[in-house]
Amino acid sequence: MLASSNPLSHVIQHTLFTEAADWGPLTPEGTITLLSDQIVMMIVAGALLVFLVPLLVRKRAGTDDIGRMVPTGFANFFEAICQYLRTEVAEPSLAHHTDRFIKYIWSVFFFVLTINILGLLPISSVSPLFGLHIGGTATGNIWTTATLAILTMLMMVINGLRLGGMHYVAHFCPGPLWLAPLLVPVEIIGLGAKVFALAVRLFANMMAGHILLAVLVGFVLTAGTSMGYAGGLAIAVPVVLASVAINLLEIFVAFLQAFIFTFLTALFIGMSVVFHHDDDHGEAPAH
Amino acid sequence: MNKTLIALASLMLPNVAFASDASGASNPFAGDIGNALWTLVIFGCVVLVLGKFAWGPILSALQKREEFIRDSLAQAKKDREDAAAQMKEYTEKLVAARAEATAIVDEGRRDAEAVKHKIEEHAKSEAQAALERAKREIELAKDTAVKELFGLGARLATDVASKIIRKELNASEHERLVEESIAELEKTG
Repeated sequence: MLASSNPLSHVIQHTLFTEAADWGPLTPEGTITLLSDQIVMMIVAGALLVFLVPLLVRKRAGTDDIGRMVPTGFANFFEAICQYLRTEVAEPSLAHHTDRFIKYIWSVFFFVLTINILGLLPISSVSPLFGLHIGGTATGNIWTTATLAILTMLMMVINGLRLGGMHYVAHFCPGPLWLAPLLVPVEIIGLGAKVFALAVRLFANMMAGHILLAVLVGFVLTAGTSMGYAGGLAIAVPVVLASVAINLLEIFVAFLQAFIFTFLTALFIGMSVVFHHDDDHGEAPAH
Repeated sequence: MNKTLIALASLMLPNVAFASDASGASNPFAGDIGNALWTLVIFGCVVLVLGKFAWGPILSALQKREEFIRDSLAQAKKDREDAAAQMKEYTEKLVAARAEATAIVDEGRRDAEAVKHKIEEHAKSEAQAALERAKREIELAKDTAVKELFGLGARLATDVASKIIRKELNASEHERLVEESIAELEKTG
């Protein structure tokens, strides 16, 4: 399989079980994926989070009032991230709504991060040795990132309407009423663009790094095929070094993209539920 | 040889899939609604489970800690202000006490001066009175002595005169003669 000349074949989803279905654009290949390598990794990520995080939360320094407020061990690292996301990412955007949405914000971050990190493990290279076909990066799948982005959009719209009501609807026409026919479609397109950018940014970043690695490793195979064993090994040395460097970069990107996705989610939800004129009671209305 | 290279190279790839359909199309947007549904289900489970068993306790702990820190800072600020106020009060009391102590010492000194002055005055007056009394007694003693001396002088003069003139005088002439002698003696004395 590695002999395949197309590096994309190494990073895309590989289905394990499919069922024929015709749901139009929702099933572009005429099948519905029941299980794939990326879905397995997503399940693993979900299971890790569901089982490990509640255990981490219980790690406290003591049982008295003060001890229960102090995390210990790895829980310090975990809680420091939670605290940072709450005060530095969510609060500037969500203001007094922070604690209402922080559970969703934390979930998004750790879900995306865990999937990104798991995607860096060479599971897909090792699993065939045990007769399994799992591995891959679920966030390197546009359907997965789009689902998460659409969930963010739903959070924006539903909570915007629920908490802001007509204030939120009025946001779709920020100018004079006679400009509404122009502004409302633009604002609606803007909402879609936000979601689209959110989905594509995560998907493209996760996929690009993996494609780069596949291309690099492909050089070894090409050299091995055309120049023989010695040639392959000679090329392998710089490729391995470069791959290590790219892998380190990928670790950074895994954290960075999880952060950006979370930051933008908080920002977009904040734009829908926090209305600045709520805080401008002392100022003259700008009519 | 190629198998060895493949095995080595494959370990470098984090996400190379070996699924049976690997030779298929390499569409970067591969996937379908199945992926979306799985994402929805798994992410939904993560949000629900962690929301109940992880995020809730963490949020509660963070909020309690924030509240505790805020209360502790407010209490520390209040304690510091109380301490400053007490310090000011104690300083004022100390200054007042020092002033009072100085006043008491000054008053004591003044009283002592007054007592000293009074004792001196009393001693002086006592001494003066004693002196006056002594002078009066001396004067009295002098007068008495002078009178006795005059009497004695008169008797002596009478005796002498009697002896000289050998003439007996009667009592009235004798008395007259004595008084004349005293008068002459006072004139001369």
